[in-house]
Amino acid sequence: MQVNLKWDVLKRWETLLAAVLFIVVVFNITQSPVFLRADNLTNLFSLHIEKIIIVLAMALIIINGEIDLSVASVMGLSACLIANLYEQGISIEIAMLCALGAGILCGIVSGFFVAYVGLPSLAVTLAGLIGYRGLAKMLIEDRSIGNFPEWFNRLGQQPLVGSLPLSLIIFFVLFIVVAVALHYAAFGRYVFVIGNNRESARYSGVRVRQVKMTLFIISGLVASLAGILIAARLGAVRASTAEGFELDIITIVLLGGVSVFGGKGTLVGVALSILVVLCLRNGMNLLSITGNTQSTVIGILLILSVLIPNLAQDFQSIWKRRRLNLRE
Amino acid sequence: MTSILELRHIGKVFPGVRALDDINIEIRAGEVHALLGENGAGKSTLIKIMTGIYQPDSGEILLAGNPIQIGNAAQAQAHGIAAIYQEPLVFPDLSVAENIFIGHQSSGAIVNWRRMYREAAAIFDQLGVSLDPRSQARGLTLAAQQTVEIAKALSLDARVLIMDEPTASLSAHEVAELFKLTRILRERGVAILFISHRLEEIFEIADRVTVFRDGKHISSRPIAEVHHEQLIRDMVGSNLDEFFVKEVRQKSDLSISVRELSKKGVFSNISFDIFKGEVLGFAGLVGSGRTDVGLALFGIEPADSGIIIWQGESQKIKTPEQALKMGIAYVTEDRRQLGLTLPMSVAANITLATLKNYLNGLGLIRSREETKTATMYRERLSIRTPSIWTETGKLSGGNQQKVMLSKWLNTHPQLLILDEPTRGIDVGAKAEVHRIINDLASRGLAILLISSDMPEVLAMSDRILVMREGRQMGIFNRQDVDQETILKAAMGQAPVRNPA
Amino acid sequence: MIRLSRLLRPEQIRELSLAIIILLVILFFSSNIENYVSGRTFTRISTSIAIITVVAVGQALVILTRNIDLSVGSIVGFAAYFAGQQVSANQDLSPLVVVGIAVGFGALLGGINGFIVSYGRVPAIIVTLGMLAIYRGVLVDYAQAKTITTEMMPTWLIDLPRQNIISIGDVDVRVMVGLALGVMIIFQLCLSSLPFGRRLYAIGSNPDAARIAGLPARRIVLTAYILCGALSGLAGFMFLVRFGTITIAAGQGLELAAIGAVVVGGVNIFGGSGTMFGVLLGAVLIGTLEQSLLRMPQVSEFVRDALLGLFILLAVASDSVILNQLRNLWARWGRERALSAMLPTEKETTHAS
Repeated sequence: MQVNLKWDVLKRWETLLAAVLFIVVVFNITQSPVFLRADNLTNLFSLHIEKIIIVLAMALIIINGEIDLSVASVMGLSACLIANLYEQGISIEIAMLCALGAGILCGIVSGFFVAYVGLPSLAVTLAGLIGYRGLAKMLIEDRSIGNFPEWFNRLGQQPLVGSLPLSLIIFFVLFIVVAVALHYAAFGRYVFVIGNNRESARYSGVRVRQVKMTLFIISGLVASLAGILIAARLGAVRASTAEGFELDIITIVLLGGVSVFGGKGTLVGVALSILVVLCLRNGMNLLSITGNTQSTVIGILLILSVLIPNLAQDFQSIWKRRRLNLRE
Repeated sequence: MTSILELRHIGKVFPGVRALDDINIEIRAGEVHALLGENGAGKSTLIKIMTGIYQPDSGEILLAGNPIQIGNAAQAQAHGIAAIYQEPLVFPDLSVAENIFIGHQSSGAIVNWRRMYREAAAIFDQLGVSLDPRSQARGLTLAAQQTVEIAKALSLDARVLIMDEPTASLSAHEVAELFKLTRILRERGVAILFISHRLEEIFEIADRVTVFRDGKHISSRPIAEVHHEQLIRDMVGSNLDEFFVKEVRQKSDLSISVRELSKKGVFSNISFDIFKGEVLGFAGLVGSGRTDVGLALFGIEPADSGIIIWQGESQKIKTPEQALKMGIAYVTEDRRQLGLTLPMSVAANITLATLKNYLNGLGLIRSREETKTATMYRERLSIRTPSIWTETGKLSGGNQQKVMLSKWLNTHPQLLILDEPTRGIDVGAKAEVHRIINDLASRGLAILLISSDMPEVLAMSDRILVMREGRQMGIFNRQDVDQETILKAAMGQAPVRNPA
Repeated sequence: MIRLSRLLRPEQIRELSLAIIILLVILFFSSNIENYVSGRTFTRISTSIAIITVVAVGQALVILTRNIDLSVGSIVGFAAYFAGQQVSANQDLSPLVVVGIAVGFGALLGGINGFIVSYGRVPAIIVTLGMLAIYRGVLVDYAQAKTITTEMMPTWLIDLPRQNIISIGDVDVRVMVGLALGVMIIFQLCLSSLPFGRRLYAIGSNPDAARIAGLPARRIVLTAYILCGALSGLAGFMFLVRFGTITIAAGQGLELAAIGAVVVGGVNIFGGSGTMFGVLLGAVLIGTLEQSLLRMPQVSEFVRDALLGLFILLAVASDSVILNQLRNLWARWGRERALSAMLPTEKETTHAS
């Protein structure tokens, strides 16, 4: 029966995304024979792997009716912290733990102000976006730090199992965990209920503050993990690492049909949206279209994805009224 | 009397529903025309057509004999059609005066603040109310907000005023004030369409009454020619007892004891006992602190001092989770905002407060158990829904109320706090809710019933606690009191004036 | 106190306290930095916040209606580039025409945003997030990696940043600063005394009520976006004047700085309340902090952003906590006032009947 309900949603949003995905994939295949090769497909994910890992956490946060603009800065901070500590002679393993700890701390700060003080998350995490980037700049100023141990770089760049690098494995594991937690566990139910109306959740004995705090901690933790992965993949860190990623991340989540007002969205939609964006970028790469034009196309897609259903609805009601008038 | 607004052969179809079917209604100058009907009878749709929010699929609208189109809210206003709602639509950040004039300032010109305040004050004078035009609308009581809306309608020279359940959230005193304003408007020749679920109010204020059922026009008659039973028969299509009276309680054990419960600035020194199987009614004006006592017992807004003795032990209730664990449930008066998650399924709403009981070792929801529980309540309370996986927002008000009730019954409470359990639901559903309350009490549940509906309190309670301005005015046995005694206690020393 | 509550609204107390904080900040810096209180400091800070103030005023118009415009940074950059390109191709263009080009271009882009938000019913954050990328992407393609440089500019434009409207002693008020102040004052007047301004508040305060009250909500939101775009265009012109060199990255990140100033200035991020005067104070506070920290030798320039973030957080935190308290207090006083006023009229009505 629950499947039935979801099918209802699929009819409206996810099928549209699937159709777009189908068109993009067919187009890519006709344009380039390389597209379906395993290394291209792995490559497709790897180039944006850090973003799409954060997308998973961001989806939870937005469904909960909040937003976290600070993720890219937390990511940068985590990468810079590793670089800074490693440069000071601290082993990379401990540096990684410190980076994760810093991410959790960032999450606690945002969570505290949003859940316990009751501030709008847009404002709190905007401050985080600026502030954490500032901390990152304090750590490594205007230098670029690299020369990480060989194994650390290899972790980020080489396949670990088959043709899958570590980051991709992390993504798939996280995806399954988040999907199950969101759609089959009590936690996910609470996330949806609070996203619909946090007061009504409180009146049903749901621990609203705890859930929100948990979500921001998850967001901080995942962002710092992504920071470690990008440091490993790029092999060098600057203060501006991951700058501006938050926009791409939020775009993917919203394109996936998650309501920006909270309370609505599925991980199936988010997954499809990830694939659409990645295939689109990959396809454009194969056609050697530059990054900025790619962003334009994705921006247009984001707006059209909401605009077209709205327009269709308008036309439908106009048409219906005209038909009724004709009948009279 | 001349007809101001006439609707002829109005039809409106939504996907799957014929909301209005060949409706005719005529509203005359200087009359209060009551519109009655169960929820889903088509009243709201009609109002939305009259105020330009919906367009009719067929039929015509005549204003003073001339056919008109009402394409949007602005056009309705231009035609002199205004509406006030149960939840008034004010702008909390603007001043009272701006709230009155915001819709019809001539754009372009500079806002003349002084004139605006003066004119607002003049309107309030006409109405005989005292509101400060300069104060911010944020923080006004519901009744004051409605007064602002009425002033707005006056300033617009409204010829037709639609009042959509304006009294649903008002106290008896505030209703009397509202009726005073309504009569002033009637004397000025305004045609008033008045919607209410409370029959006694309709007999008090209305000149004519129209009944809708299932989107069809059933009857329109002068009020002098109808009586209660006739109207109810028209509404439900058959005879029905208006009120269910609770059975007398057998002797039983104490459930909860409250002594000198206080919260600064909200209520003070509230003391009462509730026995198992007993219904303790909480009467009083809106804002007298009844809901606040309920919220304190449920831990949403904990009390500052006082003793709560629960199952022989003194308890401090700090959070809703704690209250739940103790076996206390609170069914809120605000079903749509606080009571339910409307976009979620009936089943998800029913199990929300008890979700922990439906988890397996991994924290995942056992769907089969959840289905079983939801199906059980669907049958037990006869919730009319296509499926337990239907969006709760798609059900009628009465059925939503039953879903909310199921959620709390499923916590297997020992004390059930019901806050306005029948507000805004139709006569049939109301009787069903009363039957459920009686059934629960007979199974030994202690019930605290907060209600502004005086006949309901009198019919359903064993004893009645009356509150006024945060203080306890007394506890009465049902057999010893009548409506008047309770009203006097609720209004304290205020002189009881004749409404006319 | 009850009488006082009629004269002062919670929002005004909020602005007053912001002004006091600015004074305290200046006092702090003047005791830590030599020669801090001087005309040069004023000139430096005021010129640095002129652009952000103009963008923030536009942003505030949109935020008041419970919407947001994340694309302003891209509009500023595009308008600056477009105006720069026109003036370098045609050196004889009069200054007013150049301003007109920038403002008109910005208004056009803002209008696109507003049209999709109000008539397409797409949430503002989605539209402007998309437009942030789209306008920037189109600019990159349009510019084809060419940069506008100072050498291409006519002399009047190069001289403009150092021209003063008025000089008192060594305090210079630059033309750009005067322009920003003028914009702020004009829009403050619009908000407080034009029906259009009041309707912005109404829509943000309760969109449903606005619709039912028959306010042309769509048109008003569209207008707010057009004005926001126009002001971003003006800011683009100021950007061109101030820096002379315009790359395809011009104006990047301005949207966040502008929203920061708006939020610190006490405009409710969910619409309905706030003033342009507050926005100016927000911009001044942020600008003062930024510029002054730069001059403290013991604070490296890399710390600036960290402190700025912290400050926005504190401003928002204190704001919401304190403002809510004040509002509750005001509401209570309001009720008491109504009650005490009610008694005599009640007597009158009983006499009458």
